[in-house]
Amino acid sequence: MALIEVENLKIYFMTRRGPAKAVDDIGFSIEKNKTLGLIGESGCGKTTTAMSLMKFIKPPGRIVGGSIRFMGNDIVPMTDEQIRQLRGKEISIVRQEAQNALNPVLTIGKQITEMILEHESVTKKTALARAKKQLNLVGISDQRITNFPHEFSGGMKQRAMAAIATACNPKFLILDEPTTGLDVVVQRQILEMLRNLKKELNLTAVFISHDLSVVAETCDRVAVMYGGKIMEESDTVSLYQNPLHPYSKALIGAYPSLKGERRQLKSIPGGPPSLIDPPPGCRFTPRCELAQSICSQEEPVLKTIDGRRIACHMVK
Amino acid sequence: MNQNAVLTIENLKKHFPLRKGLFAALLKGERSHLRAVDNINFSLGKKEILGFVGESGCGKSTMSRTILQLLEPTGGKIYFKGTRVDTLSRKQFKPFRKKMQMIFQDPFGSLNPRRTVSEILRQTIKIHNLAKDRPAEDALIKKTLEEVGLNPVEEYWNKYPQLLSGGQLQRVSIGRVLVLQPELVIADESVSMLDVSVRIGILDLLFKMRDKHGISFIYITHDLVTARYICDRIAIMYLGNIVEIGPTEEIINHPRHPYTQALITAVPVPDPTAKVPELPIKGYVPVAPEDTIRGCSFALRCPYGKKNCRSEKPQMIRVGDEHFASCLLIDGSISID
Repeated sequence: MALIEVENLKIYFMTRRGPAKAVDDIGFSIEKNKTLGLIGESGCGKTTTAMSLMKFIKPPGRIVGGSIRFMGNDIVPMTDEQIRQLRGKEISIVRQEAQNALNPVLTIGKQITEMILEHESVTKKTALARAKKQLNLVGISDQRITNFPHEFSGGMKQRAMAAIATACNPKFLILDEPTTGLDVVVQRQILEMLRNLKKELNLTAVFISHDLSVVAETCDRVAVMYGGKIMEESDTVSLYQNPLHPYSKALIGAYPSLKGERRQLKSIPGGPPSLIDPPPGCRFTPRCELAQSICSQEEPVLKTIDGRRIACHMVK
Repeated sequence: MNQNAVLTIENLKKHFPLRKGLFAALLKGERSHLRAVDNINFSLGKKEILGFVGESGCGKSTMSRTILQLLEPTGGKIYFKGTRVDTLSRKQFKPFRKKMQMIFQDPFGSLNPRRTVSEILRQTIKIHNLAKDRPAEDALIKKTLEEVGLNPVEEYWNKYPQLLSGGQLQRVSIGRVLVLQPELVIADESVSMLDVSVRIGILDLLFKMRDKHGISFIYITHDLVTARYICDRIAIMYLGNIVEIGPTEEIINHPRHPYTQALITAVPVPDPTAKVPELPIKGYVPVAPEDTIRGCSFALRCPYGKKNCRSEKPQMIRVGDEHFASCLLIDGSISID
């Protein structure tokens, strides 16, 4: 059963020059206990999509259409109070740059118990005991419960963030570039911790990253986004071994690896499209090597081939 | 000393004094120091790209700043094409400044937001007197922008940095360096803030600069993957020391130092079928003042660490062609049992 189902979602940012279509008519679903990866260049709508799953879209941004069903209930029409009940309790988030996401004047213990007390009617003592358990779960000694964020290293802050996010046993976790900006050794430790958490708490997750190798390791399915649209969605193994969409091909072709032969890589010429005034037809046309005349006239629909979804005129 | 080398570094040190409590200061006159850069030796050949890889806090950036005389070294010698530059006065160093340049990590922060692209380059040209009059300046700016791939030039001429993407901004930063015709460029994490699709374009531009203008590069990064793509040789740094240095493919495929091995294991691969490896080391880079480390600086985290490692300092030894590593296990003073 799908835990999250997104249909025809449109999120526009109202600017003076017209609406910027950050997310334009996308749909996907995530099965229970699975992780969906969202990849693409900066400004393709990854983070906006993920934030919308918690309804964290602030003006001038607006969800202008579509539905996001979490366990069958559409969260788009929900009031602020209703959504507040879900945030932290059912759906939680671990962001990039934990140093900015933690409160610098509260101890880590306080920040975890705050979350528990907000959503559950338990005593402070129980909350504190749970907070200690949380810290152990993410690999921090519970003696550091009285520490402030500045006493933690970068990797530990990211662990503390995960401890807060999972304090109320949420069902769904949004991971927004959780390892970007960390050293490889620390990154490896955080990935290991996330894998443990997912197993212990039976989490379903969406994982956003521009690091293709981290996504390869953590996700069951991957959606490739470009200019606010999903270009291809597939299980991870088929996507990496045989990308069908020219954009997925280019993205994977531009990615260097430490293993195997040292190979020549190709950058993708040009930059991401304007979201206010996107190119007609397929948005990738101006940068696409295979583009034909139909590509700039007609927008390709997402069609399903062997359990994979691809939006390209050239893929039959 | 290698006479053909563009840059030769001998025993370079940069220590920062640590603040101490009042009582400790009264009782013991000495201050303790943080050894950000501790005894570094290497030389860089013409048209060579040498990568320095290590975790945050290993002294990579301090080293590059010290080489460029932005920080005063605590000890050691820096030779640029045979001339010792660390003893020169500021004024004497000025002609060298032009020849030794740096490209920074954050193009959003390193370009003046109130100047257009052409003004940014013009400022550099004026400071170093590179053109005799305004038309000559314009011609030089145009030529440089074309060279860094900002075509058509007219489109970028009057643009402010905020209107450009990260990759385009980094090209402007590179143009600002290139216009000086440097012989040595230090690229400090120059692509880590850029999208993967743009990174390769910037790295290829560095290759072009090397081939066309004969520039030597020091490429500083925490990312082994891009280092493999661009570098001829790689040096692995840990707590202010080079622990291993050698030709790129040698380092990647046959790492000898336990720290290099750990770093390589930790790098994720873009292959979903690959087995996730177990990380051999624990913890993180310690912030340790001078007196706490006597032996090998990696001993505390090393999976093979022995008692000797904490008391005896390992020396650089040759383990292959141009391949050196400093580890007591390799030189045979202790063995794994």
